[in-house]
Amino acid sequence: MKFHQKAVFLAAFVLLGLTGYAQTKVTRDSSATDSLLNSLSADDKADPVLATFKSTRLILTETSETIKKNNLNFLVIHRFGDIAGADGGGKTLWGLDNSSDIYIDFEYGLTNNLDIDFGRSKYEQLLELGLKYALLRQTSDDKIPIALTVIGKTGLKPYSVATNVYDDYTNRLNYFVQAIFARKFSSRLSLQIAPSFLRNNLPYPYIVGNEKNIFSLSAAGRFKITKCMGIVVDYAHPFSSFRDKSNSPKFYDPSGVGIEVETGGHVFTLNLTNAQAISPINYLADTQAKWTKGQYRIGFTITRVFDLNRKHKGTFK
Amino acid sequence: MKYLALILLVWFKTNQTSQETYVCKNAKISIYSKAPLEDIDAVSTKGTSVLNTATGDVAFSIPIKSLTFEKSLMQEHFNENYMESDKYPNATFKGKIQDKIDVSKNGVYPVTAAGVLEVHGVKQNRSIPGKIVVNNGVVSLASEFNVQCKDHQIEIPQIVFKKIAETIQVKVAATYASYKKPNS
Repeated sequence: MKFHQKAVFLAAFVLLGLTGYAQTKVTRDSSATDSLLNSLSADDKADPVLATFKSTRLILTETSETIKKNNLNFLVIHRFGDIAGADGGGKTLWGLDNSSDIYIDFEYGLTNNLDIDFGRSKYEQLLELGLKYALLRQTSDDKIPIALTVIGKTGLKPYSVATNVYDDYTNRLNYFVQAIFARKFSSRLSLQIAPSFLRNNLPYPYIVGNEKNIFSLSAAGRFKITKCMGIVVDYAHPFSSFRDKSNSPKFYDPSGVGIEVETGGHVFTLNLTNAQAISPINYLADTQAKWTKGQYRIGFTITRVFDLNRKHKGTFK
Repeated sequence: MKYLALILLVWFKTNQTSQETYVCKNAKISIYSKAPLEDIDAVSTKGTSVLNTATGDVAFSIPIKSLTFEKSLMQEHFNENYMESDKYPNATFKGKIQDKIDVSKNGVYPVTAAGVLEVHGVKQNRSIPGKIVVNNGVVSLASEFNVQCKDHQIEIPQIVFKKIAETIQVKVAATYASYKKPNS
C-alpha cells in the first residue's frame, strides 16, 4: 500500500517535471509552434505563376501574358531596313534610313484573363482586331504545369491592289488563330511553343500555287540576366509546300534575337530579325529575307501599360 | 483511486496545454509606403499565426504573393523585382511575448514580442510592440511596425528611375481560435 502510494507520487512528480521541462525548453516548444504554423499554411500553396513574360510580345510572337482588367497597353513596334546586303550598308546607314514595317497597337484588358487589341501595320496597311484569352495559368505546385493562352484575330487589308480578284471585299480579310503553351521554368527562364493557323482569303503573296491556309509553329523564349534585363529569342516555321518549293521568290523562316529591358511600366525590346513584317498575318505568309544575305534588320518594341482603374483610394487602414 | 488521480492529473495537464494554443488562418496584413509618384499599399488576409499564451510563443507567416495591390503591374513588380517571391515565398516572424497574458480575464494587454523577422530570406532580430485583446475568451492580436528595405537586402533595381520608399509600414491583425488537435 505504502509502496503503491510512493510509486504514484513519484510518477506524478516525474510527469510534472517532464511537462515543466518541456515548457522551459524554448527550442522544443517553438519547434512545435513552427510545425503547427507550417501545417496551417500548407493548405494554400497553389498560387498562379506570375509574369511568365514581362510583356505581351517577344519579337515576332505574342506571349502568354494578357493585359489585366482596365489596363491599356500601348505598343510601338518598328523594323528598320536591311543592315547589309544589296539594300544595306553605309548608304542607308545600315538600314536605319528605311523602315520595313511600323506597327501601332492598343491592347485593353476586359477582364484579368481577356484582352482586346487593335493595331495597324505599315506592311500591307493591315488593320487587325483580336481577342486574347488566358485559358489556363501555370500554378506554383505544378498541378497545372503550363499556361495556355489563345488568340483570335481578323486582319483587313483596306486598300486596293492591282488585281481584279481583290475587288471582292471578303478577299481582303485574313484570319489568324494561335494557341500559346508557355512555362516559366524558373524566375529566369520562360519558354513557349505556339501552333497557329493562318487563313488568307486571297493567297499572299498573290502567286499561282500559293495556299490560302498555312499552319505554323512558333518557339520563343526569354532568359533573364538581371531582374530587369533578359535575352529573347523567337522563331517560326510555316508548314507550306508552296513556300518550301518556290524558288522565285524564295521564302525563309522568320526568326529573331534581342534584348529585353524593363523599367517599371515600360518594356523595351531591341532586336535583330530577318522578318520584314511585324504581324504574323504578314510574316508567316511572306518572309523572303535571309540572314546570310545580310537581309536582317534592327527592330525595337516599346510597350507602356496605363492603369485606367479608378483613382487609387488606398487599402491601408 | 491513486491511479485515477494520476490519470486526472495527466488529462488536466494535456487539456490545459491545448487550451493555451491559439491559431489564426486569416490574419490580415497590410503594407504601406509613401512614395513620390504613387503610394504603395497592399493587403492580404491569408496570413497564418500561432499563439501560445502559456509560453508566450508567437509565430506569423504570410505568403508574399497573397498581398494584393490595386494596380496589377505594381503587384507584379513587387513580386518579381523587389521581393523575389519565387525564391522567398513567405515572410515570417517567430518570437516570444515578454509579458504575461491572462486569457481568463477580459482586457487589453500591451505586449512586446522579441524574435526573428524574416523577409526576403534575410533574418533580423526584432523586438516588436503590439497589443493582445481578450474579450470573453476570444483572443486577438494587433501590431504595427516598420521594415527597412536595406535591412532585408531588398534592392531597388537601378534601372527603375522611380524612387521607391526605403521604409515599409506593416500592420498585422489576427483573431485567434483555440486550437484543437485534428484527431482528438
